[in-house]
Amino acid sequence: MASSTSAPPTLQVRDLTIRYRTPTGTITALDSISLAIPKGGALGLVGESGSGKSTVGLALMGLLPSEAQVAGGQLLLDGSDLLALDPEARRRMRGPKLALVFQDPFTALNPSLRVGAQIGEGLVHHRGISVSAGLDAARRLLAEVGISDPAAVADAYPHQLSGGMRQRALIASALACEPELLILDEPTTALDVTIEAQILDLLEGLRAKRGLSLLFISHNLGVVRRVCDRIAVIYAARVVEQGPTAAVFARPAHPYTKGLLAAIPRLSERRGRLAAIPGRLPDLAAPPPGCIFAARCPFAEPACIAERMPMREDGERAARCRRLDAVGAAPWPVAAPAPHAARAEAGAPIVSARGLAKTFHLRRGLAALRWQGGRIVHRPVFVRALDGVDLDVAPGEVLGLVGESGCGKTTLGRTLLRLVEPSAGTIRIDGRDVTGLDARAMLPVRRMAQIVFQNPDSSLNPRKTVRELIGRPLVRFGLAAPGDVAARVAALLDLVQLPASYAERYAHQMSGGEKQRVGIARAIATEPKFLVCDEPVSALDVSVQASIVNLLADLRDRLAVAYVFISHDISVVAHLADRIAVMYRGRIVETGPTAAVLAPPYHPYTAALLSAVPDVDAPKRDRIRLKGEIAAPTGSQGCVFESRCPRRIGDVCATAMPPTRAPAPGHAIACHLETEELGH
Amino acid sequence: MAAASPEQASRALRPARAGRKLPLQLVVGASIVCVILALALLAPLIAPHPWDTINVRARFLAPNATYWLGTDDYGRDVLSRLLVGARLSIFMGVTATAISLAVGIPIGLAAGFFKGRIDEILMRGADVLLSVPPILLGLLVLAVTPPALWKTAVAVGFVYIPPMARLTRSVTLALAEEDFIQAARARGESTAYILFREILPNAWPPLIVEGSLRVSYAILLAAALSFLGLGAQPPSSDWGLMISEARSFIDNAPWIALAPGFAMCLLVIGVNLVGDGLRETLDPRLRHRVAGKG
Repeated sequence: MASSTSAPPTLQVRDLTIRYRTPTGTITALDSISLAIPKGGALGLVGESGSGKSTVGLALMGLLPSEAQVAGGQLLLDGSDLLALDPEARRRMRGPKLALVFQDPFTALNPSLRVGAQIGEGLVHHRGISVSAGLDAARRLLAEVGISDPAAVADAYPHQLSGGMRQRALIASALACEPELLILDEPTTALDVTIEAQILDLLEGLRAKRGLSLLFISHNLGVVRRVCDRIAVIYAARVVEQGPTAAVFARPAHPYTKGLLAAIPRLSERRGRLAAIPGRLPDLAAPPPGCIFAARCPFAEPACIAERMPMREDGERAARCRRLDAVGAAPWPVAAPAPHAARAEAGAPIVSARGLAKTFHLRRGLAALRWQGGRIVHRPVFVRALDGVDLDVAPGEVLGLVGESGCGKTTLGRTLLRLVEPSAGTIRIDGRDVTGLDARAMLPVRRMAQIVFQNPDSSLNPRKTVRELIGRPLVRFGLAAPGDVAARVAALLDLVQLPASYAERYAHQMSGGEKQRVGIARAIATEPKFLVCDEPVSALDVSVQASIVNLLADLRDRLAVAYVFISHDISVVAHLADRIAVMYRGRIVETGPTAAVLAPPYHPYTAALLSAVPDVDAPKRDRIRLKGEIAAPTGSQGCVFESRCPRRIGDVCATAMPPTRAPAPGHAIACHLETEELGH
Repeated sequence: MAAASPEQASRALRPARAGRKLPLQLVVGASIVCVILALALLAPLIAPHPWDTINVRARFLAPNATYWLGTDDYGRDVLSRLLVGARLSIFMGVTATAISLAVGIPIGLAAGFFKGRIDEILMRGADVLLSVPPILLGLLVLAVTPPALWKTAVAVGFVYIPPMARLTRSVTLALAEEDFIQAARARGESTAYILFREILPNAWPPLIVEGSLRVSYAILLAAALSFLGLGAQPPSSDWGLMISEARSFIDNAPWIALAPGFAMCLLVIGVNLVGDGLRETLDPRLRHRVAGKG
């Protein structure tokens, strides 16, 4: 074993090959993967969806589905091969030796068991301790993962906990039997950035304290950079690059790594275009004979396609590319922006909202009656999703709307289009008050204002072809004669960079990025002046996300459409937006030109959001951590952010509405702190 | 993306075009149903004996070369009666199911889409109907007026409206949350368009399976009502009525009851297989699941 470290590695994966049998043929999910994690080390396994990264975790745990077949290789944990063990012996390893934390904290806990019982279960099972001793251990573990009231949480059912708490509980349950290796499969993907930052802090702390080895599986390079000291980039079932995290991020060797890193939007550099990786994963049932990335690689030459390339090792680092020396430090190519249309900066706003409010009644009327203290009382339950929002979007302008899940940003986007009826306030579109219009009068407005959705699987009717999907708005608004629809659909497909042959496809025959393009084509088919983009890239891989962001930027420049661009990811918003509005619990707490919002003075919440974004380029910096999680907005007298604010002044925050501070024209911060104090 | 290879494109499209593989159960089920349907339609031509001619000298004959399925208590040929009776059974099943679909689907769509008060009213109404056993409900409809064939069909259809409405509602509830409904609303589409062009096409697969099951239930319920004397009237021939009449002689002449019983069984199995097969063929996601992987 030519290991460069002296201590034997905790985990060593050697030439692991796993195939899936499918009705159409055999798919190679992992092709001779070799990884090593030293004792106490943390390895990040990075790749896009479909690359096979989750299969590694499942193979280690022995939880592969029945159609998977290990075709070769070894999984050495402390020197003994897991694959040589019988199922019963492997079952006994799960927990005491290695443990897995699943991606989705919302489904990974059993909803009908108390959290404490679920955490203690492993101990009761593996160590044979009593149930009550297991519960005691569960409370200790919950305290260790940073839960302030472990007894109450141990007694709770999963649905009573927030996403971050559940993820902590899952980690506690994985730690219960003191495993040597903790496998984390996208542990923060389902969480908000501020909660993600909390969980990452926790993992760093646990790793130092317990000497845990981590296998961290993720698509998010920023997260991996923070947690891991080594990184392995996996693409289409093969590891294409491996090495120390800092070195790989500083000088990526493999073109795919270069592309991945270049595709990430950064807060520091905005405008222009993101680097996109064109194309899609190769067909894993019949992988190309040569380099698997050659078809998408801008540096590829004919020889790359012909012959397979082994890993080339260079000290600590290794990469699978035959042009390593020739490519060297050459950067990933970035497309030039499309020619600008004349931007109508001046003029009346295309969309203008005043005092917009929306209250969702979860329980009202007869259903809200309760028996309490010997008499019937009325206890309605409602959520104030929007609480007095003012908003203006100029023609051709991109307004970025940022906030954590549950802050009301999606409701705001839908209310602007009257897909959700506002409870109070007015909406003007192109100067016209649309709040009271009936369906018929609304129609011209509908043509002018369209929407792009987050989830491309849900936004396209699975029973309709792309031609029907894109053609319908044309027919609906009489924008094309029946004979011209096909030609117009083809033109729209071209505009979103899809081949005309896609007109005959159904949604399930396309990749996520392609579906999102169709969704955008449908929205721009009516030639709208205003588009609500509701998290249009958050369901997509980084490389695909970049190409969709570029497309939206191109369309803005070519068609002069104004966007309200909603996202939880402030770096994506910063890349595209002219102005940014930061939302928290139904109110806009800060708004201003992008550059002004991203620089001090900040609203304390904006500062926390910015500091929670995992940075690809700088792993460590001063961080502001928010305690707790966003609560359901139910309306409060004072500042909405008061309960979590690290810079809370005192009772005034809870009792009085914060005044609006205006450090610069067009920049507004709602906070009790003076502008000068907000600056630092 | 932009650079999807033509090879990939053609592979993804192929199943939609040529050589679609039909599920086996669809082929088998459709064959059974078609054969029964053909026999029923051709019954007057192929029946070996007149179905209603009484022959006192040929009573209770066991199956033999002349009477393939034997004769009944009036000496009538069981096979001929079976063939003629198939028409009534199939008519009952199909008509009743059509009625329950035609009424139940709009109710379910409205309840699932509008929710709130409309949903409450429609579904509580359905609950009331569901709380009465089907056979009693059918009896109730028929008891107030003299029995007639079409009334039996309507009664059976009426009984199956609530389950159809409930199923449609539950499918609609889920579909109404999808973003493509919001996209349709953003285009200002009418409620009717959203219900029948956006939601209904996606609701068909479970409805078709349920509908095919209902055809078989309806045949059985219609037979049960006939058995109780509230459906087809003697001397007309209906499978349920045949079993009912044969009940008294089940010890001595089991074939009189067994033949229609077995025929009903075969028809119900055939219809169910068709329903199952249709579900697989109609759902584009199921149809292409194999091609979409990888």
